[in-house]
Amino acid sequence: MYKFPLLKSIKLFLISFSFVYRSNFLALLMGLMFGFLMSRAGATTFDYHAKMFLMIDFQLMEVIVTAVIIAMIGVFLLKKFHVRAVTTGAEVDFVKKPYQKGLIAGAMLFGIGWAMTASCPGTVPAMLGEGKLSALFVLGGLLLGTMAYGVLQSFIANNGRIRDTLKEDSCDRP
Amino acid sequence: MDVIVWAGWLGGLAIGFFVILHFWLMGKPAGCSTGYGNVCGLICKKMQYYREGEYSNPNNTKLWFLIGIPLGGLLSALTSPEPWHITFDMGMYEDILPQSDAAKAIWLMFGGMLLGFGARLAGACTTGHALVGGAMMNPPSLLAGAVFFISAFVTTQLLFFNF
Repeated sequence: MYKFPLLKSIKLFLISFSFVYRSNFLALLMGLMFGFLMSRAGATTFDYHAKMFLMIDFQLMEVIVTAVIIAMIGVFLLKKFHVRAVTTGAEVDFVKKPYQKGLIAGAMLFGIGWAMTASCPGTVPAMLGEGKLSALFVLGGLLLGTMAYGVLQSFIANNGRIRDTLKEDSCDRP
Repeated sequence: MDVIVWAGWLGGLAIGFFVILHFWLMGKPAGCSTGYGNVCGLICKKMQYYREGEYSNPNNTKLWFLIGIPLGGLLSALTSPEPWHITFDMGMYEDILPQSDAAKAIWLMFGGMLLGFGARLAGACTTGHALVGGAMMNPPSLLAGAVFFISAFVTTQLLFFNF
């Protein structure tokens, strides 16, 4: 096998590594930016959530309305000029979340959780990063709740047989 | 832990540009709560639902996005004037939450479970439905966003006022 000189092989390794993992790396950077902006916008401060719903201070309302308007203009421009995405090379895919059964019930449960914990799934990790340890319990609950939904779905897929719900490959069985 | 908080319009402007940047770089809408499904698939191998379909490869961009968020929070806290420290203080919520630590932990955990289950049942969280879905003017997302706000509004009013 032909061997490259050391420096060149390191260089090639780095190039191929960054090429293969570029989307994951970019996602990490995006997440970092998201956490930073959530924190700067005040979404990780408990009081702002309470103040918004008690109609004392509309900081978060202002944030979300401005963000949606700016993003709306951006989405319109991206669609109009058929911009290609950097990582995939294809046109930006504006996949829309479909209406699914239980959307309203789920949204109501989510709202109750929001009021109880003053956080949403996006801000919980950012709170942890800031050292707010109460977010640790919310994170644990979040994972449990997500898991419960998975169990429910495989329970339904198995026609309500509890025995098969947590078996591997249970969904393939007739 | 007090972090610097920008004015509302400035924070909104930055997050709006972030959404556009995410669309341009990743080619798909930003979302948070789907990443928790990946984590569940990684933790529990028997979790059939989180090992197939859109979760068939748990090591995807959604997971890395989720890993990045605490780093962003840390960065924000480190660049604030107050030095980074661990805190349990919950501000205004101290008065209405149960007083003992164990009860508080159970309360928060229960709220977290409602968040996780509700987000999956509704299909996305505040980011996916209200922010990005609102930007794409997707009718189910607008409906979900409205219900999020109404439900949280009513619950907060009930929590803070003794009738």
